[in-house]
Amino acid sequence: MDIILGIKVEDGTIIATSKAATRGISVLKDSDDKTRALNARNLIAYTGESGDTVQFAEFIQANIQLYSMRENDIELSPKATASFVRNQLATSLRSRKPYQVNVLIAGYDTKTDTASLNWIDYLGTQVELPYGAHGYAAFYANSLLDKHYRKNMKIEEGLGLLKLCLKELETRMPIDFKGVYVKVVDKDGIRSIEGY
Amino acid sequence: MSRRYDSRTTIFSPEGRLYQVEYAQEAISLAGTAIGILSTEGVVLACEKKVTSKLLDNDGSAEKLYVINNNMICAVAGMTADASILVNNARINAQSYLKTYNEEIPCEILIKRVCDIKQGYTQHGGLRPFGVSFLYAGYDDRYQFQLFTSNPSGNYSGWRATSIGANNSAAQTLLKKDYKDDLTLKEACELAIKILSKTMDSSNLNSEKLEFATLSLSKVNEGKVLHKIWSAKDIDSLIKDSGVLDDKRDDDD
Amino acid sequence: MSGYDSALSIFSPDGHVFQVEYASEAVKRGTCAVGVKGKECVVLGCEKRTTLKLQDPRITPSKICKIDNHALLVFAGLNADARILVDKARVEAQSHRLTLEDAVSIEYLTKYVAGVQQKYTQSGGVRPFGIATIIAGFDSNDTVPKLYQTEPSGVYNAWKAHAIGKSSKTVREFLEKHYEEDLDDDKSVKLTIKSLLEVVQTGAKNIEVSVLKAGNIIKQLDVDEIKKYVDEIEAEKEAEAEKKKKSKD
Repeated sequence: MDIILGIKVEDGTIIATSKAATRGISVLKDSDDKTRALNARNLIAYTGESGDTVQFAEFIQANIQLYSMRENDIELSPKATASFVRNQLATSLRSRKPYQVNVLIAGYDTKTDTASLNWIDYLGTQVELPYGAHGYAAFYANSLLDKHYRKNMKIEEGLGLLKLCLKELETRMPIDFKGVYVKVVDKDGIRSIEGY
Repeated sequence: MSRRYDSRTTIFSPEGRLYQVEYAQEAISLAGTAIGILSTEGVVLACEKKVTSKLLDNDGSAEKLYVINNNMICAVAGMTADASILVNNARINAQSYLKTYNEEIPCEILIKRVCDIKQGYTQHGGLRPFGVSFLYAGYDDRYQFQLFTSNPSGNYSGWRATSIGANNSAAQTLLKKDYKDDLTLKEACELAIKILSKTMDSSNLNSEKLEFATLSLSKVNEGKVLHKIWSAKDIDSLIKDSGVLDDKRDDDD
Repeated sequence: MSGYDSALSIFSPDGHVFQVEYASEAVKRGTCAVGVKGKECVVLGCEKRTTLKLQDPRITPSKICKIDNHALLVFAGLNADARILVDKARVEAQSHRLTLEDAVSIEYLTKYVAGVQQKYTQSGGVRPFGIATIIAGFDSNDTVPKLYQTEPSGVYNAWKAHAIGKSSKTVREFLEKHYEEDLDDDKSVKLTIKSLLEVVQTGAKNIEVSVLKAGNIIKQLDVDEIKKYVDEIEAEKEAEAEKKKKSKD
């Protein structure tokens, strides 16, 4: 019952992931970070079969990093990164034991000065969205986001909207997800937002 | 006996040179000239056709110019049969990158991949190196228009104007003299014709002895790259416009 | 008919592996590269082949290559061979991170590169790599600069300062004479450029320099910065010559 939630605003993309690492009915840890930085302006957030998730995210991370090294620090764009991840999941789906991982990719393209949020599931479905979530979070948060999301929001307003979503989740979710880590990807790179 | 040749394909000479690679390069310096010029509006590739016969049936395809993908074209000098293997490889690589990243392959990545194949044949496998040099003209959003060359050793480099094949040093000198940074595409085409007319040893230049291709940006469709392999008619009219034939006549007088 | 598996590099009756020795000759034909270790930095420099007037400086590949965020490699020898070896090193660096959760140490990286080079002196149907490399960087959570060198044979060594490639002997002798322990950043860069000027006649535009500091800081010097050092060095040389002249009189 992990929560991963992303909101794209005008000047960046916000990602929130729950801190609880659960196994069956137990919470094993309350400080689990379900994100990995792929390069300076691309962040992947993941949920799914534990084990698969970290393995997959770090494999992607190593590949994107390798690309940066090979190209002398010219980095892969968010669109290309998302396509690469989708391609990997689609290939994996057709293998003997597919990765069961769903991801969100928050990115900022310095070439076009645009933020983006890509939603990709283990079947290889990829959509670019203004806001999105995987798992149970989606059931509770989507209606709120539908109502309150505006295109031209700034990061501060986006964080306000996120607070609204988290409040709803805390009220409605049947288990304690131990709060969330919040990260923002914008023109300056990836940063953590404290106080959640 | 074959073993003797196999194991002697590409090895270091006592001076640390790779003779097989150097011989391959030698072979290319006998092949028809190819010139590439970068302009502000695009890139032009021009080559000299060596095989001309009245009985040759032109099926419309160029002999030494290939389209690699939407953003790149190339010209070859050397063994055309070897070239088609590498061009095929380049095309596959370009599409595979497009499939993986959903973006056109940046020019340098593609060239690097083709050059890695060439390098491989100078180091292992017991096979001879590829006997071709390439001129690549490309466009990507990293560096816009670009011009590269690569040779049998697997080295590549970027240029504003260069040439490969026969008489390339003469062509290079002429380019150095006449190249300017602010050339328009048309001026670049005319410069290419002018240089070829001087380096080729035929008295009258015409479309039968030339191949021409240009890469430019579409004026209507923003961001779309246009590549054009020129028809005989277009080449002839360019030759006429460039006035190289007139010059020649003047010289004769 | 089993031509493919016959090793190209084999012992001669008097105990030489000629292909490896010849590969070292290929290194000597390549442009010169220098590495200097300072107190808190490592500097890599190399001779840049004359960029011809019509060459496009934006897209002509550099000889100083980034292997990972904390490691640089500079080579002398066959460019195409280097590309392949550098790529293998980059893949290993990332693969190491993936399996060990840690960045490669500079010694590990050197050992890996040297290992690949060694393999190509002993495997069937391949010739050795015609390159020598200098690898520089900092291990994670460490501020001690590291500098290594590898050869086509697969031998590797740690150095305080070293040169490879064309006329590297001259440069090495210069470094031996002028190297001091614990140089600061500025002096390390200056020594690197000064040593390169022993063999590079054409000055700043044919020199490339990168400086590495602890904490993944890599700085590539631009032509103007290098020129400043070159001018400084030349002024010093002139002053010295003047002084000598005077004392002679």
